[in-house]
Amino acid sequence: MSRITLDTVRKEFGSGGDKILAVEDVDLEIRDGEFLVLVGPSGCGKTTTLRCIAGLEDVTSGRISFGDRNVTSLRARERDVAMVFQNYALYPHMDVRRNLGFGLKLSTKLPATEINQQVEDVAEMLGIEELLGQKPKELSGGQQQRVALGRAIIRDPEAFLMDEPLSNLDAKLRSQMRTELQTLQHELDVTTVYVTHDQTEAMAMGDRIAVMNGGTLQQVGTAEEVYRDPVNEFVADFIGSPSINVFDATVDGTRLDGPGDFSYHLSETDPVEGLRTARVGIRPEDIQLVDDGIGLGVNVLEPMGNENFLYATLGEQEVTARIDPTNRPQPGESVSFAFDEAALYLFDPETGASLKTKRDGVVPATPDSIPNREGAQSTTGRGPDAGPDDDQIEGTIE
Amino acid sequence: MREETRREAVWQFLTYGFILLGAVTTLVPLYWIFVASTLEESEFLSSTDPRLIPGDSFFGNFGALRARENVQFVGHVGEMTQYIDLGPVYFAYDFWNLWNMGAIESSIFVAGVYTILSLLLCSMAGFAFAKYEFRFKQPIFYAILATLILPIQLLVIPLFLLMSQIGLTNNYWAIILPWLANPLGIFLMRQNMRSIPDALLESARMDGATEFQLYYKIALPTMKSSLAALSIILFLFQWNLFLFPLVILDQGKYTIPVAINQLVGAQRVYYDQIMVAATLSIIPIFILFLFLQKQFVSGILAGSVKE
Repeated sequence: MSRITLDTVRKEFGSGGDKILAVEDVDLEIRDGEFLVLVGPSGCGKTTTLRCIAGLEDVTSGRISFGDRNVTSLRARERDVAMVFQNYALYPHMDVRRNLGFGLKLSTKLPATEINQQVEDVAEMLGIEELLGQKPKELSGGQQQRVALGRAIIRDPEAFLMDEPLSNLDAKLRSQMRTELQTLQHELDVTTVYVTHDQTEAMAMGDRIAVMNGGTLQQVGTAEEVYRDPVNEFVADFIGSPSINVFDATVDGTRLDGPGDFSYHLSETDPVEGLRTARVGIRPEDIQLVDDGIGLGVNVLEPMGNENFLYATLGEQEVTARIDPTNRPQPGESVSFAFDEAALYLFDPETGASLKTKRDGVVPATPDSIPNREGAQSTTGRGPDAGPDDDQIEGTIE
Repeated sequence: MREETRREAVWQFLTYGFILLGAVTTLVPLYWIFVASTLEESEFLSSTDPRLIPGDSFFGNFGALRARENVQFVGHVGEMTQYIDLGPVYFAYDFWNLWNMGAIESSIFVAGVYTILSLLLCSMAGFAFAKYEFRFKQPIFYAILATLILPIQLLVIPLFLLMSQIGLTNNYWAIILPWLANPLGIFLMRQNMRSIPDALLESARMDGATEFQLYYKIALPTMKSSLAALSIILFLFQWNLFLFPLVILDQGKYTIPVAINQLVGAQRVYYDQIMVAATLSIIPIFILFLFLQKQFVSGILAGSVKE
């Protein structure tokens, strides 16, 4: 169990002209016992970052430490971390008992009886005692998943690294395992880095979420922070389902003119001062249908039971809204909407950086507010002494 | 629907017919060798009365084969009295000393040792080529493959000179060592080892395995069926080796193909004895195949990785 620190970690593949930059100077601190989720679209460098932490890839430059121990040049087997792979990677020729005990057998000098005892303890903890004699191919996906977890747990490592471990399970099993995994992580209190491309999973599971794109770390923060106060348009767009509606608007003093008959007067000019255009973002849930407002043309209505998803057009712009289930505008109909200015997002059209977010209730993301993480400019975070917020985590479990 | 089932039946008939034809053309010569070994030479060489039913001259022919002086086909053990009461270790020692190996034992010994060592070497090389990155990997691999086109006939003289320089003439190692790194074996192992998922090896690395442990604790056990197939190929290769053993070995150490060749005399060919020798030489291969056949059942990798 330890803190994991990445200090300007860089990873390039290939050499000369074919060089591919997979991870670009990532600074990240994962607190002791924290569940950190690395999330981003495919190819964003999240898995490579994880593999660098694991020691399965050498870093091109930078430094990785566990606690105060510099592990940058150590090999995977010397780092004392355990990894759960997307495809589980169980040893096909060994039964579950040997799969679980393999790591202990290789990395410790424990006698066989002791290893056996630990195997049985872990199997009991995961509810797979009756599977100990079976080979991986005889197990279901969920059971294989548990064995893979058990193989990580049994070694009592410094950290768990998980590479999309739930993505091969069906939806129902996935949400069940998600909860189980969280409970287990809190029980064991082992620092965990979890990679996923699924932002819902990231929001639900992580003490904090690290959003990556194009090899760079965009933002680190709690689910609420990255959702309400994204540092840029990419994070705003990636986090949240359905995605935020973003469109171009011209700036004229405090007035924003967008597609269709979108026009809005800001109560303050601060965010857009000196800009001629801006990117305007409104979350689907912040769109309220009203009698008199900005006009929308309804395309499709998806009833979800507890809410309805409305797909509409604002001029040329596609817009999604989450509306009350009793509200059922028909395709072809015209409706009007309004929104609260506090819920409005504004982004710089060139850099994509956030100009205005739903900041209320969220600690502002200034470098001064995170004294213990120098160098992480693109990072939002709580104060140095704020541990994993258990109450909030409990609240996000489905 | 009916049309489809009929076409399927015809297709099946053709398929089985073809397989049957293949089986028959393979088995008939073997059967004939066996039948011939049980007949008098005059009986099976008769052009007027071809025989396909086994006769009762097998042991007669076998006796004649054993009585030959220029070739010892089956070995014998000298009279053991020296250490007989001193326990199994001394007994084995005595047995080994007094054992006069014939061609069959020589061949089994040579092919067996060769197969085991070559399996080790080929699988290690295959593992390296399949799972590691190193400089000049491709050129080295192609160079190894290129040696497949060199015929043994071309190698006989340089190999003979080499073996005599290192003092291995008339030594079984002379026919084992030159072919240990078998290009076909390396190629086969590389192709098969590529199917081992990287995650499996990485997972073992995380579990604390050294690179060598990856090879013998993960790669080898998952490759069981390929190893079984390769071992038959390697065993047969060594079993059938003729020219180089003929050149490098003396008469007392001949392997089966060379020994059989001795039955072709200057004045006459001893067909009856050749047939017995040929029948006997098939038996070890037959047993090996029966033994390894169940390993061919694939699917050893099934369930390791969810695709």
